[in-house]
Amino acid sequence: MGSSQSNDSETVARDSDVFAGIPSTRIPLKIYQEPDVYAAELQRIFYGPTWNYVGLEAEVPNEGDFRRTFIGEREVLMVRKAGGSVSVIENRCAHRGSQICQAQFGNTGSSLTCPYHQWTYDFDGKLLGMPYRRGIKGKGGMPADFDMAAHSLTSLRTTLLNGVIFASFHPDPPSFADYLGDKMMHYFTRVFDGRPLRLVGYQRQVIDCNWKLQMENLKDPYHAGILHLFLVSFGYFRLDQKSACYVDDSKGHSVLMTERGSEEGNEDTGGVNIADPDFTLSDQTLVQPRKEFPDDVTLAIQTLFPTLIIQAQTNTLATRYVIPKGPRSHELVWTFFGYEDDDEGMTTARLRQANLMGAAGYVTLDDAEALEFSQQGLEGAAEDATAVLEIGGKGAESNDHLVTESLIRGFYIRYRDIMGFERVT
Amino acid sequence: MDSAEKSANPASSDVQRRVDGLQLQYIHSIDDGPLDHWPGFFTDQCLYTIIARDNVERGQDLGVMRFESAAMLRDRATATQHAAVFAPRTIRHILSTSLLDRVDANGIHARTNVAIYQTSPDGDTNLLVTAQYRDWIVDTGGELKFREKRVVYDTFRLPDSVVYPL
Ligand SMILES: [Fe+2]
Repeated sequence: MGSSQSNDSETVARDSDVFAGIPSTRIPLKIYQEPDVYAAELQRIFYGPTWNYVGLEAEVPNEGDFRRTFIGEREVLMVRKAGGSVSVIENRCAHRGSQICQAQFGNTGSSLTCPYHQWTYDFDGKLLGMPYRRGIKGKGGMPADFDMAAHSLTSLRTTLLNGVIFASFHPDPPSFADYLGDKMMHYFTRVFDGRPLRLVGYQRQVIDCNWKLQMENLKDPYHAGILHLFLVSFGYFRLDQKSACYVDDSKGHSVLMTERGSEEGNEDTGGVNIADPDFTLSDQTLVQPRKEFPDDVTLAIQTLFPTLIIQAQTNTLATRYVIPKGPRSHELVWTFFGYEDDDEGMTTARLRQANLMGAAGYVTLDDAEALEFSQQGLEGAAEDATAVLEIGGKGAESNDHLVTESLIRGFYIRYRDIMGFERVT
Repeated sequence: MDSAEKSANPASSDVQRRVDGLQLQYIHSIDDGPLDHWPGFFTDQCLYTIIARDNVERGQDLGVMRFESAAMLRDRATATQHAAVFAPRTIRHILSTSLLDRVDANGIHARTNVAIYQTSPDGDTNLLVTAQYRDWIVDTGGELKFREKRVVYDTFRLPDSVVYPL
């Protein structure tokens, strides 16, 4: 495989190509259910030439600190090395395949030791030694020709940019800058501007639907002014606010954004049923934003292919990372953060506004539920059943409005490309 | 406080009874509804949070819910009933008696274990979380109310959304 990020290996045989003859505006429902498609996704996407989110540097501040996470279904450790850099290694012993670290977080001193037979590794995964290597009084032990250097832990390619760590199982991924492109880098560095980050806390939730449905949800601004009755009823989001959505050249990444207080004032709710237009919050502090970025954007949601969501909704900043758990389930890990120089008022604002987000969030509760409705609905659908994506046309371009499914169409251009399915024509 | 001494004290067993009664009223109010009654268990200035034990142990205050006034709790009750989309469900709290850690002029500090089950529209019942209530309870004109209620949950990989208060 060359260094190009497009997958130039042979495409899937036509009879197993679920996208054969499928236009940009249709998605075969099989791809949310089929074990074969899921297995291919793990290999071609998660272990392929992509950059996957691992975590924030602030999660492992001291030498020997580790955090355990996943890329696809493979467990990895993010470890802080001596000298300050961070490595990402697979959490699987080279001896018999045992998981090495069990805790979510911890400190492992100056090396990693598998608890089963105490094979010991450095933080780049290099095998340092094992008990009884020379046996006892010359009996047993490892053969003299055992090649220590050939039995390292899998060490991943890593990128650290402004406090965020990404990794790739692929031996030759594109450069991170090329992978993101200029437009996406602009929005990435809007939030991750190089200031040291401070962790605010975590939420983790299992959502029983295919991982791609989760990514589609954050590329679907059309639903936001409809499904989210909290935002609509209390007047915090309207599709007629000044807004835009962007797709990168590869079509796999996206940003959607709005400016609050910029709606036209014509009360055009596009036929959305609103429970009660007179709702007001009796305690407004929950939704009082503090300005913190130079622009007027109050909501910016970026998705990076394959499974990272970067959320900047007023003052709630978070990464949402999607871990696939088979074709019908995924885990969503929210890492809420602020900046080391946040004052007390900003920290309070972030904690308060977090009520809109997460497993009980005024906004995202609806999303998790709707995503499970989607999975429930598509189970057992007819062999040739498809989803329809025609809102906003057929293309996958950037727009100066949000009444569009173009970001989702873009995701499937990228997806079909990397999966080796028939490309969109 | 020495626990043997405490249980022999009729005044403290009265406190124990009142706290256990408050907790029972609280969980039955949530499980059976209506949700509008829920904010009435709290003082006007209060803290209600549902937070992962892991966050607490790392000194992080981020919760699944975090409300700082009875007004915010009323907003949550209103929004849940009128401005949220979710599959119908019932929840059921199973409670331990409360361990009174401290009883003094500032109120009562208590810990109570709780298991919360959830039943789906298809009729499947699953454990939602195990948790501990860490409460600060005050007497307001003869009525016990929560000044603070921290629902500290163990189940940090939540198996489902948290629709109702816990
Ligand atoms: Fe949403």
